[in-house]
Amino acid sequence: MWKGKGPGVFEEELGNLEQKLLLTTVEKAVAWAQGYSIWPATFGLACCAIEMMSIVTSRYDSARFGAEVFRSTPRQADLLIVSGRVAHKMAAPLRQIYDQMLEPKWVIAMGACASSGGMFNNYAVLQGVDKITPVDIHVPGCPPRPEALLEGIVRLQEKIHAGVPPAYEIRGVAT
Amino acid sequence: MTFEGVPGLVERKDEHDETTLVVDPARLVEACLHLRDVEGFRFLADITATDYLGWGARGVAGYYGTAAGRDLNLPGGLGAAAGSQGHARVPRPKAKRFSMNYHLLALRDGAPRVRVQVWLDDGEPVPTVIPVWPTADWHEREVWDLMGIHVEGHPNLQRILMDEDWEGHPLRKDYPIGGEPVRFSGEE
Amino acid sequence: MAIVERPQIYEGTHIPSPTPTILDVPAAIRESENLLQVNFGPNHPSTHGVLRLIVDLDGEEVVGLRAVVGYLHTGFEKNMELKTWWKAITYAPRIDYVSFQNNELVFVLAAEKLLAMEVPEKASLARTLFCELNRIHSHLVWLGTAALELGAISVFWYAFRERDLVLDLFELVGGTRLHTRYFQVGGLAEDIPEGFYPECRKFVEWMPKAINDYERLLTRNEIWLERTEGIGLLSADDAIALAQSGPVLRASGVDWDLRKASPYLSYGEMDFDVPVFDNGDVYDRYRVHMEEMRQSVRIIEQCCDRLEQMEGEPWITDDRKVVLPPREELHTSMESLIHHFKLVTEGFLVPEGEVYVAVESPRGELGCYVVSDGGPRPWRVKFRAPSLVALEATATLMRNALVADLIAIVGSLDTVMGEVDR
Repeated sequence: MWKGKGPGVFEEELGNLEQKLLLTTVEKAVAWAQGYSIWPATFGLACCAIEMMSIVTSRYDSARFGAEVFRSTPRQADLLIVSGRVAHKMAAPLRQIYDQMLEPKWVIAMGACASSGGMFNNYAVLQGVDKITPVDIHVPGCPPRPEALLEGIVRLQEKIHAGVPPAYEIRGVAT
Repeated sequence: MTFEGVPGLVERKDEHDETTLVVDPARLVEACLHLRDVEGFRFLADITATDYLGWGARGVAGYYGTAAGRDLNLPGGLGAAAGSQGHARVPRPKAKRFSMNYHLLALRDGAPRVRVQVWLDDGEPVPTVIPVWPTADWHEREVWDLMGIHVEGHPNLQRILMDEDWEGHPLRKDYPIGGEPVRFSGEE
Repeated sequence: MAIVERPQIYEGTHIPSPTPTILDVPAAIRESENLLQVNFGPNHPSTHGVLRLIVDLDGEEVVGLRAVVGYLHTGFEKNMELKTWWKAITYAPRIDYVSFQNNELVFVLAAEKLLAMEVPEKASLARTLFCELNRIHSHLVWLGTAALELGAISVFWYAFRERDLVLDLFELVGGTRLHTRYFQVGGLAEDIPEGFYPECRKFVEWMPKAINDYERLLTRNEIWLERTEGIGLLSADDAIALAQSGPVLRASGVDWDLRKASPYLSYGEMDFDVPVFDNGDVYDRYRVHMEEMRQSVRIIEQCCDRLEQMEGEPWITDDRKVVLPPREELHTSMESLIHHFKLVTEGFLVPEGEVYVAVESPRGELGCYVVSDGGPRPWRVKFRAPSLVALEATATLMRNALVADLIAIVGSLDTVMGEVDR
């Protein structure tokens, strides 16, 4: 995303993977299409949701990365951005929303609370959403800047284009 | 304001520019009706419960951050005006375990506020003040949910912030903080 | 223990009985086939966060309503009991995450009240300035999302464009856009940096024009009027009985603002008006929010004028028992070193006592009740959230409402679930 930034470790590894994973042109084409049209689901929980709302605005504009609209129904969405702390009471609805999404689907854990419970190591907060859903990208920050979330989306796109399967396949869990 | 006519008044404390009226729990609703209708406190801002289990178990030492706190000539006494001069001190003991605090506000110039305080032991119920201020509904449910103080006469005393089938009352002092154990953090 | 019979609060109240917060389906239609129970679940598109409304519908009309909260309960209060006073301030802004510095302010004011501490004038003015910036930020987020839900989608983009300007100002002083944790017990964490005042003035010049833009889009817009006028009526007596505050109370005709009634920080010296409207419907709440934004710009301008004269003045009290000494002194003064050590390891001690401090947050009366045992950690912290109280009023407001009005009404209450659930 930045000018003058050469390929880092992440990009090199993805480059290597691309040789091995995406074998056919059709697979490559499908991965290209999937990556450039990821539609997120509206799943704002807490403070990170406010920053997630601002990536749609004109200054940060996630539409230029393909995340054109936020779908309200998970059945039409590809990406679940868990933005905010997940209380134990909310864990069941969250899993239900995840289950309602159709494959292929990806999850971004946005912020410290979704990644690991954040500063709330207590009885009420789920210590990381990856305890109940498989997560593809963790975006650190409290809250992460909109640019950080966009970087997370871009890295997810790079993963998809490299042919890395979504997290539920890697971890072998039910979807 | 004198507050002498408040039914069930046990004690009146004036500290830190605030007035606290300690009231007998059996006459709480009468006292609240008096305060609302006669004194004009129509606005119930907040209902809070505090658990004083373990109060004073550790003495606290050091100087207080006020100019008076550093004055070696002031004897170590009570309240904010006196300092400890470096010695360990124990806070003033409380008679019972729980205090229920009702913060009231009168909608007049100067915004006069008063706190009605009721002291309870574990298991003692407190009457509902919904007949006086309807907004008490969710505050009392929260007190039941997080502190376990039973509110008598409440039409819908269910858990509000925790899951319906949660066991225990999290904000009590004998309820652990929970979460994942982290090494060297000192919190359990 | 005698239980008092339920007296009517007053004649003509719309508050439901026996439970003030639950609208029960009338017995006449309880067995009707038209009755449909719909769950406006914790995840729904109107971005107020995780609120669940269980609604009974008779056709399009709402006949029964129950709100379920707790889907964002984070255990703030218990966490804050385990941290020192300094560290606990970091938890506060995440409670009401849209007007974050108001929470910091109320907690810091409570600690300062217990300490009986005087704050330098520069800090007081700067706190006023940032609280008003927070008010504008909060109202912009409210405007964007409320208009988005009612279909005026373009307002969302315009409101968030100005919101980014406000966040740029926060980033200039605090280093981060949200949750700056800029307030400290005793004053501010750091001095206001160079270059802030010109940026602030640019914002102050631009903002009234932006507010004019929004009003041109909405205030006389026929669709907006149809969707918001006469909806969600709340009488003044009901509002007081339900302890509403902030824009909801002022839209019902009650002239009550803590900034005027019991001024805190530097509000007593500022020249501003408090908008009050009479009808108590959603449209009036909208108008209160818009006017408040204009008045906030006035206050910011006055604060800027006075702060610019105060270059070089202290921004935090110099009581070393509570505030860190400046780093240069650590090289030469033994006492400073000891103070620094004690403050960083144990934390400062706050005298024993209990206080309740309330400020006028963009949502209403935000209060903080703090009990201290004289130690380095708070014994009990409770935040009185105006949004929790506002949600209690949903049952009263939904009388004779249609489903489409439900969204408008919940939006007009300007609730933030973070502070409801804490």
